[in-house]
Amino acid sequence: MTEPWNVVVCVKQVPDDDEVTIDPDTGRLDRSSAPAVLNRPDRNAIEAALWIRDEVDARVTAVSMGPPTATAVLKEAVAVGCDDAVLLSDRAFGGSDTWPTSLALARAAEELDADVVVCGEETTDSSTGQVPPGIAAHNGWAQLTYVEDLEVDSDDERVIARRDVEGGHERVAADPPVVVAVAYGENEPRPAGLHRKLFAENEFEPPTWSAADLGVEDEVGLAVSPTAVGGMETVDPVERAQAVVDSPGELLAALDEEGVV
Amino acid sequence: MVDVDEYDDVWVFVEEHAGDVAGVSWELLAEGRELADAIGDDLVAVVIGEGVDGVAEAAVSRGADRALVADDPVFEPYRADPYGEQFRRLVEDRKPSIVLIGGTHTGRDFAGRVAVPAHAGLTADVTELDVDEDGLLQARRPAFGGNVLASIICEEHRPQMATVRPGVFEASEPEPDRSGEVEPVEVVVEESDTVSEVLERETGDTADITDADRIVAAGAGCDGDLEPIEELADALDAELAASRAAVDEGWIDGARQVGQTGKTVRPELYVAVGISGAVQHVEGMDDSEVVVAINSDPNAPIFDHADYGIVADLFEACPTLAEQLRDGEFEPEVIA
Ligand SMILES: Cc1cc2nc3c(=O)[nH]c(=O)nc-3n(C[C@H](O)[C@H](O)[C@H](O)COP(=O)(O)OP(=O)(O)OC[C@H]3O[C@@H](n4cnc5c(N)ncnc54)[C@H](O)[C@@H]3O)c2cc1C
Repeated sequence: MTEPWNVVVCVKQVPDDDEVTIDPDTGRLDRSSAPAVLNRPDRNAIEAALWIRDEVDARVTAVSMGPPTATAVLKEAVAVGCDDAVLLSDRAFGGSDTWPTSLALARAAEELDADVVVCGEETTDSSTGQVPPGIAAHNGWAQLTYVEDLEVDSDDERVIARRDVEGGHERVAADPPVVVAVAYGENEPRPAGLHRKLFAENEFEPPTWSAADLGVEDEVGLAVSPTAVGGMETVDPVERAQAVVDSPGELLAALDEEGVV
Repeated sequence: MVDVDEYDDVWVFVEEHAGDVAGVSWELLAEGRELADAIGDDLVAVVIGEGVDGVAEAAVSRGADRALVADDPVFEPYRADPYGEQFRRLVEDRKPSIVLIGGTHTGRDFAGRVAVPAHAGLTADVTELDVDEDGLLQARRPAFGGNVLASIICEEHRPQMATVRPGVFEASEPEPDRSGEVEPVEVVVEESDTVSEVLERETGDTADITDADRIVAAGAGCDGDLEPIEELADALDAELAASRAAVDEGWIDGARQVGQTGKTVRPELYVAVGISGAVQHVEGMDDSEVVVAINSDPNAPIFDHADYGIVADLFEACPTLAEQLRDGEFEPEVIA
């Protein structure tokens, strides 16, 4: 390969899903008490992006769309080894569903002249999995989702992925530019190096791009989002007896009584 | 923004791989039939593949008024780009009001490929569907680990698209005498336009755990040794299922994964063995009638979601349970 590849890795800051609570009085979600963290599947995305750089000459840029606080997850990405990072932040993005979100990320990927865009499988806060195919669709690029394993074919300049499909797997080759969504837990994310960590924390500040910088100011936000939340109902947890029994015999007798064995 | 009145009919994407139809497609035809009847529209099956006339006829026997068939070698095996482009053109030309797609890896891969160029509203991983008299779809999906059910609507864009989790609706039986139209459509994709190539595809047993009456599910706690769990499943005449951790380790086939990104199951009996009870897992099993947890950690969250729990090493508990089941004698032998 002659030119180094540009690899863009998309990351999101999400409330820690172990810490989201429901206010018993109002029935509303209390996300404010949950600490903001890097979306767990995105750690696998960062690892995959850095792996590509280990294989071919490449430059890895982390991109996040979010409020200024999302700088934290970009610093984390830089600490583990991403070369650079960009924050897409603007009030105009507020209320965006997956359509405008993937548009903004798609434009940023174009701006960064991406050969490969790596994403996590889905986010733990909204879990749609729609953003990676959305980025690919907005740009008319190839996509590889539910990726368990990657190869870079540097002769043909293709990306080859082993994908998880129902009841098995497949290997698919795609021509760059290509969007890759890495299946959660499919690789072992590397830890941050000490020097890199200090650099990310103390010296690195990502540039911020606005909707106007991306030329999408009229195409993002609540007004152009096709979907809206019509309502939220708290789901009453299924009542379970939560009986702890001491022996297999006791369990089976109880199940016998229930008529299920 | 579009004139929403120009759009009608309920479409269901029939996902097939080499002639095998994903079970969720039949589930969606049954649910789609109800939605179509509720708003007085037609139910249309969209079949894409090669040599799929039989699939189209099966879709009619499962409730479709019409089946649109795009038949061409370019569509076998599935790839996001040719499927997306073909479906997008159909949507643009024929303006469906509602489009339902199975929430499989294939369906979730491909739905965005249609929704983005159509500027359609797409709701992911839906578990409940409803429609009001104006044809406005209420697509409900669990959010925040299943603690809330969010209702997603799409008022000003069409079609209203949803990917739907496998196992939440019941497929109806085929009626071979049902009549309906099978309509071939123009294929608008050429191989030379594609940007991806399937090099190999290997699928084996695509077990359908969504129909099982009894399920024994293995988690990371089994540490790769499935024998005691299989023994218990065998003694209970139950299907084997798994948490994502066990699937990711490669111990069990992905088709048997229960949970947010797997299947929704509702058996009479669900036995979770060596499974911690993460929200994403519980979401897929919480409709089970009776839940049993076997876990060595008394503080494992799975016990909060179980009717009966045994705090025990699964390597001891499972064989003992299997033995007593086989003997038909339930001995109150205490295990430590
Ligand atoms: C985007 C996303 C989607 C996900 N989708 C799903 C999904 O669809 N389904 C799913 O299951 N998970 C899903 N997960 C993963 C989920 O968060 C958990 O990581 C996973 O469910 C854990 O699996 P486990 O309970 O088998 O493993 P662990 O959490 O590792 O638990 C193992 C349990 O085994 C017990 N144990 C260990 N040894 C023994 C022994 N000898 N005897 C008895 N017990 C023992 C331990 O006490 C522990 O409780 C998803 C996660 C994300 C981020």
